[in-house]
Amino acid sequence: MPKVKLEGDEIDVDLTESEIKWIKETLNRDPSITEIGMFDVMHSEHCSYKSSRPKLKLFEDAEKNYDYVLAGPGEDAGVIDIGNGYALAFRIESHNHPSAIEPYHGAATGIGGIIRDVLCMGARPIALLDPLRFGPLKGNPHSQWLFKYVVKGIADYGNCTGIPTIGGEVEFDESFESNCLVNVACIGLGTIEDFKHAPSRAYNPGDYVILMGGSTGRDGIHGVTFASRTLTEMSEADRPAVQIGDPFTKKMIIEATLEAVKTGYVRGLKDLGGGGLSCALSELTGDGGTGGDIDMSKIFTREPGMNSFEVMLSESQERMAFIVKPEGLEEILKIFRKFEMAHAVIGRTDDSKVLKIHEGNNLVVNLPATALSDSPTIDREEKRPAYLDDLIAQKTPESSMSLEDIIYKLIASENICNKEWIYRQYDHEVGVRSVVKCGEGDAGVLRIIGTNKFIAASVGVNSKHCFLDPYNGAKGGLVEVCGNVIANGAEPRAMVNCCNFGNPEKPESFWFFSKAVEGMNDFCRALRIPIVGGNVSFYNEDEVSNTAIKPTPVIMIVGIIEGKENIITLPFKNAGNDILLIGETKPELGGSEYHSVIYDLEGGKPPKVDEKKIKNIWLFIHELYANKFVKANHDVNKGGFIITIAEMCFNNKLGADLDLSNCFNENLRDDEILFSESVGRFVIETETQNYDKIMELAQKFDIKINKIGILIHEPEINIKGLKMTDFKLDSRKMKNLYDSTIPKLMEI
Amino acid sequence: MTIKIAVIQFPGSNCDLDTIHVLNDVIGIKADLIWHNHFKEAEFDGVVLPGGFSFGDYLRSGIIAAHSPALDQARIMLNDGRPIIGICNGFQILAEAQFLPGALLRNDSLKFICKWVNIRVENKDTVFTNKMNVGDVLAIPIAHGEGRYFTDNLKELEENNQIVFKYSNEKGEITPKDNPNGSQESIAGVCNLDRNCLGLMPHPERASESILSPKGTEHGKLFFESMVDFIKKRVS
Repeated sequence: MPKVKLEGDEIDVDLTESEIKWIKETLNRDPSITEIGMFDVMHSEHCSYKSSRPKLKLFEDAEKNYDYVLAGPGEDAGVIDIGNGYALAFRIESHNHPSAIEPYHGAATGIGGIIRDVLCMGARPIALLDPLRFGPLKGNPHSQWLFKYVVKGIADYGNCTGIPTIGGEVEFDESFESNCLVNVACIGLGTIEDFKHAPSRAYNPGDYVILMGGSTGRDGIHGVTFASRTLTEMSEADRPAVQIGDPFTKKMIIEATLEAVKTGYVRGLKDLGGGGLSCALSELTGDGGTGGDIDMSKIFTREPGMNSFEVMLSESQERMAFIVKPEGLEEILKIFRKFEMAHAVIGRTDDSKVLKIHEGNNLVVNLPATALSDSPTIDREEKRPAYLDDLIAQKTPESSMSLEDIIYKLIASENICNKEWIYRQYDHEVGVRSVVKCGEGDAGVLRIIGTNKFIAASVGVNSKHCFLDPYNGAKGGLVEVCGNVIANGAEPRAMVNCCNFGNPEKPESFWFFSKAVEGMNDFCRALRIPIVGGNVSFYNEDEVSNTAIKPTPVIMIVGIIEGKENIITLPFKNAGNDILLIGETKPELGGSEYHSVIYDLEGGKPPKVDEKKIKNIWLFIHELYANKFVKANHDVNKGGFIITIAEMCFNNKLGADLDLSNCFNENLRDDEILFSESVGRFVIETETQNYDKIMELAQKFDIKINKIGILIHEPEINIKGLKMTDFKLDSRKMKNLYDSTIPKLMEI
Repeated sequence: MTIKIAVIQFPGSNCDLDTIHVLNDVIGIKADLIWHNHFKEAEFDGVVLPGGFSFGDYLRSGIIAAHSPALDQARIMLNDGRPIIGICNGFQILAEAQFLPGALLRNDSLKFICKWVNIRVENKDTVFTNKMNVGDVLAIPIAHGEGRYFTDNLKELEENNQIVFKYSNEKGEITPKDNPNGSQESIAGVCNLDRNCLGLMPHPERASESILSPKGTEHGKLFFESMVDFIKKRVS
């Protein structure tokens, strides 16, 4: 860690020599200790996106290209206009490093942070979704500990604040063993008016700056610089860099903030997260083109004797900064008093374009307001890892197991099995909006009370696919997550992403990031999905074992369903109906659960994405919906379509007679047919009488579609028409295996 | 007549707006959201203590709210027979304030549980159950970490017919498997001796609209409709 000598003291910073030089040149003097601390956090990877920004430029134009996008990348949350005067704000973020060290508070404060991001767009947070990644649970007490307490941290925080957790996903893979991934997403609903009231900028000189919420303590100092390093054996010592959450205070902040925004007197709003006051004050004034004068003695601290360095860098949770019109000051303070929220007027904005902070009569910070937020970027080198070719060339070994035993094993695998153990701990119904609840559909569906409009949201990506081919893997993630909301009857409206990668200073790690960003960009442009926000988490790498996580560009999609009658759910409904498989099954077993669970193999040929075909499939499904042909829909995901069908049978205790003859390319092996994870496929239930019309439409859209069977009353799946002998699966046995994996591992 | 119901908002209540929505938009009566220390009983015909985490469940769930001035006001209503219902955290508050017997302990699984369950009606002669029948099975969701009912005076409760709901299966059978939290005798809700105060862990406000219910039921409405009926009769 470089040292810098200032005011006679030597302090440790994470800044590089060239960054220190840049600071001195920009200021034309030596910075004060508090100033260098502020630069240190604001120029950390976490706050400045210095490695990722050159690449993320690709995403920048959503507001320009889509008239319903109200706020795009660079804001605290993406915001879209969904009609009827409503705006939807949403964002996804990582809280990986804190959760790897202290899973309970790490995950809880992750939820706290993402709630604030949405809240400061003036919207009421109405849903949470949590994509999580851990090492395999079996035989691994460390992974079990992380998993148990991350889920508990999310549950305790989300439940207490009264925001339902309506969805999520989880992957288990060795690469996440010491670097678990805890991504958190939040959706907020507000009126377009509310959103316009409160930008996260201070545009006007003379407004009051109010700090409201929790007190400023010594916790979480340097949380962001800690998050911008790889984990080492010393990381345990960084535990004080993890903040402590207080969901009760957060609930009060939500109510007080929304009431304050309703007055119209709040002219700017910013949450205090990573980088604390340094980040909030410099972004409010710097991005708003104003300056400010702050009196540090007004900031209420948790303990006496905190110096300006500690106050400016503290990442204590549950704090918000308000920019308030002078004439509205008294009314806003009255609201804070009603909710008994601690608050202080800490200064005023001015037109100096300089951020000044006084400690008594001493001027301790005197910086151009934009100096902190306009950090220089770094162009990182990228290089495709040579080992990938060998991995992709790996062949599926011969198996001594029967297909039915393989399926029983797959359905019980950690990545496929039932995740009820998780979502039962989340209050997923508070708010009385949850129409399609956890386990009932691919996406969570919320109603907008007072309208006939519904929000569908889903998160995910397949990190095994991304590891073999980050470009197509990221696209595949989009296909899958869009597929989730489409399966529920929605049209995808906008996307945000959370990029989790290794050390960007290593060209091979940076290559994964670079290709994933290109994949997302190309796909979203082709399918006309605006990218309205993102978050990057680098340094998910363990120095002790020298392993990086599998590249994980988590996708979040928000879609809209018009009309209650257009909501589709996952479970099969009626015996006698047809089962159709939409989309082409290709020999794409690379990164599949089949390879991983049965052969412990990471390689093979991963799925590729053809945007044109995907687009046609989506248009086709749209037509099917318009004709009311679809009774149930589920997108094909991990484990292949046979797992999809099993999952659809469970809820209503139905079975299926499958005849797979003449449905697939004749060169495909049986295991490729059953377990390929080719993307963009759906299994739907339709009534037999509509078969001809469906085929007609399929021809029009040039869609590969096959009737692969019919639904039956008996709880069994009969499979014939493969090269091997016919066989039968017992649905009850499958359900039992599907349900018991996680409880068996987690309950004593 | 206009029926006026107060829904008390404690710091940390989070089912307050949900309850207001159901009373106003589904049941069609006038319900006001009242901040806990602004509550004046004289203006209202009945009061709802909604679910949530009042005062963050700090110290013990419900205990701090039980000392709010709102409960002094509610006690006046309790004594003159006006309806009081405590849902989830509201039940915990009513138990702590000793409007109702017993206590709510940590679930036996030690985990928060959110799911739809069935409850069987044990007593129809209360302000909130007069539109139900004994033995009826209602589909309704729970969402709590501390809902395991316990009392020292089970015998007294049974003799006085104060047990209003028990967790059951779809057929109305009481089994250990259908007891989600380990409650004594599968008790899901109890009332006071005068039958005007009900506390229960399940959430009627989440079960009042078919669109939210897995089976399309609206059993939660019965609670509020019973209350409205009672108030109408009481006033006339």
